Amino acid sequence: MKYKILKALDVAGLQFLDPIVRLIYGEEPKVQLSKIGRFIVIPILAFIAFLGIWGYVAPKHATKSGEVPTPGVVANAADGIWTFHKRENIKSRDYLLAGDRKETSLTEAQDRLASITKAEKAASSKVAEAQSALSAEIASLQAPHKKELAELKAFNKTASNSRKDSLSELAESVSENSSSEREAYLDALRDHNSLSALEKENEKKISAKIDEIAGMKYQPLIDARFALKLVAEEKQFLQKRVEYLSKNNRSEKVAEYEAKLGEYEATLASSSGKELEKTGARILRQEERIERVSDSSYAQPWTFPRQIKRSLMCVFFGFILASMIAIPIGILCGLSSVFMAAMTPFIALFKPVSPIVWLPIALIVVGGFIPDPDKHWFIDSINSLPIIGSYDLNPAFIASAITVALCSLWPTLVNTALGVASIDKDHINVARVLRLGFWSRLFKIVIPSALPLIFAGLRISLGVGWMVLIAAELLSSSEGIGKFVWDMFNNGSSDSFAQMFVVVFVVGLIGMILDRTMIVFQRLVSFDEAPTSI
Amino acid sequence: MLQDRYVELFNVVKAYPNPFGEDIAVVDGFNLTISQGEFISVIGHSGCGKSTVLTMIAGLNPITDGGIVVAGKEISGPGPDRAVVFQAPCLLPWMTAFQNVMLGVKQVYPNASKSDKMAMAEYSLSVVGLADAMDKYPRELSGGMQQRVGIARAIALKPKMLLLDEPFGRLDSLTRMELQDVILNILNFDKITTMMITHDPDEAVYMSDRICMMTNGPGAKVGEVMDIHFERPRNRQEIMGTSEFFDYRGRLIQFLNDCETEKEERRKAAS
Ligand SMILES: Nc1ncnc2c1ncn2[C@@H]1O[C@H](COP(=O)(O)OP(=O)(O)OP(=O)(O)O)[C@@H](O)[C@H]1O
Ligand SMILES: [Mg+2]
Repeated sequence: MKYKILKALDVAGLQFLDPIVRLIYGEEPKVQLSKIGRFIVIPILAFIAFLGIWGYVAPKHATKSGEVPTPGVVANAADGIWTFHKRENIKSRDYLLAGDRKETSLTEAQDRLASITKAEKAASSKVAEAQSALSAEIASLQAPHKKELAELKAFNKTASNSRKDSLSELAESVSENSSSEREAYLDALRDHNSLSALEKENEKKISAKIDEIAGMKYQPLIDARFALKLVAEEKQFLQKRVEYLSKNNRSEKVAEYEAKLGEYEATLASSSGKELEKTGARILRQEERIERVSDSSYAQPWTFPRQIKRSLMCVFFGFILASMIAIPIGILCGLSSVFMAAMTPFIALFKPVSPIVWLPIALIVVGGFIPDPDKHWFIDSINSLPIIGSYDLNPAFIASAITVALCSLWPTLVNTALGVASIDKDHINVARVLRLGFWSRLFKIVIPSALPLIFAGLRISLGVGWMVLIAAELLSSSEGIGKFVWDMFNNGSSDSFAQMFVVVFVVGLIGMILDRTMIVFQRLVSFDEAPTSI
Repeated sequence: MLQDRYVELFNVVKAYPNPFGEDIAVVDGFNLTISQGEFISVIGHSGCGKSTVLTMIAGLNPITDGGIVVAGKEISGPGPDRAVVFQAPCLLPWMTAFQNVMLGVKQVYPNASKSDKMAMAEYSLSVVGLADAMDKYPRELSGGMQQRVGIARAIALKPKMLLLDEPFGRLDSLTRMELQDVILNILNFDKITTMMITHDPDEAVYMSDRICMMTNGPGAKVGEVMDIHFERPRNRQEIMGTSEFFDYRGRLIQFLNDCETEKEERRKAAS
């Protein structure tokens, strides 16, 4: 059992958990503890230190979108993103509910709404309290400075007036043709002006202090405002919920339309001539409307988790496309030096091209194939697929996937070619002695022996693809993580600034998971050290 | 008639270009006839061109001049009628022992039924004593077991000729003796014409019907061919105790020493 777990950890690339397992089984506790210290505790400490430094440094830099968010703010933003997503899911479920379940949900939502309204009042009074506390605090802090300022102003005024008086006196006393006296007057005037400037400067310094106190950060108020915001958001959500459970509910709408239809049908029974024509048309329109509504679902906005899923889908499309191109071409390159020579210039030329260049080209080319995305058979057919369909695949998505493919196929191609070309000569001899045909040589000898390198290439490709994807989505406005970042950037509030930091962690985490998964695959196909039984 | 001249090498020449681009004949005028079912060993100093001769018979190495005829047909390229066992087992690491053997069986008997093919592969693995390890991967097998799989793969092809290039070179002496007997047992049962390259005079004398001693290269050829007159099936203990065994062995070593001194003299003369 122990060795099975250890082996599984090893394959999954989670070797850092190894000492814990060994410790549980009581193997050399001292050694294991020191390993835990080194491989688990130190990384955790490093991360905590990182958070600490971040939390300390971030507020020091103010930007147009507010201060750089601290870890706490970012965590709140992540929570907000998640809550929004959950609420949207609830709304879309509510819209489809009918019958008893709808009624129970409705009462539940209404009860909650009543209590949240109370909570909102409490929260806003808390805000007011904090506000007045802050005003008092500000006033008390400002008072001494204000007093100082008033005194300084009065003092400066008298000083300035007396200087002005003496200046006028001096001007009076200047004799008719003494240029030196005029010079003296100018000097005195200069002195007066620079003194006045200095006095103004001192006054400004004190005013600045007062202003600073007025703009002071008051944590209780920030907290109270945040609490109020959460409550207000929940209230809004509950109001919407009630709406979707009552008059905006699908079944309610259908019932309403059907009632109307019944009315029309009643009129129809007793009408003739012009009136019959009108009612008939109305009935048909109403029937159409009912059909449309009863098929409809809640128009869910793009929440971040859904955008993440769409991004993942895009990267997989691109990755699969890249593999389908790169592996066969790589194999041909590895098999034939002529083909390799023919391909080398293309590889050298296209490999360094940035996704930013590929994307517009891909957009235009895809646009050429799909001039009207709303009425194209290809788009229609993908969007009518069960799960994929709900992600609204469009030309921008396809262009992003193609860009991902174009940028990520090179590592796989090069590695495949290398793997195929460096196949063991002995294995080739085996194939020659057995006179294997081309295909069995390919599938029994060449590909298996190149597989570890192919997977190493695929792993790099997936990493590249994931990086490229975010940029591609940002540029092409294809819904996804990149689009989210772009929207947040354009939004420019301090809240969206924090959400961008959430994106950093999400992107990093997903990238890491993708990489880990590929490592596991790579280890499973590498015949030298592949685990044989887990 | 064909049986006496089952394999014929006449005037076989193999030249490799040296770093200056001149062709150097490593093997020059190699003549040898092997009759059907015979076991012939080739012995000679390292680098004299033994592997070169063997790979040429296998068809893996093109012949510069001369010709090789096997079973009445001049060879052109490799084929499963001439199975090779190399010093390294050369198993495909992504296949189990069974699959490694099966790969050849499928190729040679494409029309046999699946169960027949499996029976053939299983049989040849059990002949080399691996009935219990068929589903293991090469990395799970010891060097000796891997070499057994290599032998099983070769005999499963039912070849006209078995070519062994120092098949026991990398094994410890116990395993080596075991495998020598494995091969002798197979050959007692099914007389396949065999050529084995070896460095070990004892092994050569114990296993062979004839021993072909090669002179030193470049321009190596057959120096001397010695018949070994022991009855088959052979018993190691019995044979090793006879005085003939020591005579044969002595002659072999004598030949090898002579080759060495001749080479020394040539070198001295050259310098
Ligand atoms: N591909 C090649 N190109 C050039 N020279 C070669 C090549 N292959 C072998 N030779 C040369 O041919 C000679 C014979 O090589 P060969 O491998 O046949 O020797 P051998 O008798 O099998 O030696 P050993 O007992 O060490 O295996 C050697 O001197 C070697 O340097
Ligand atoms: Mg050799």
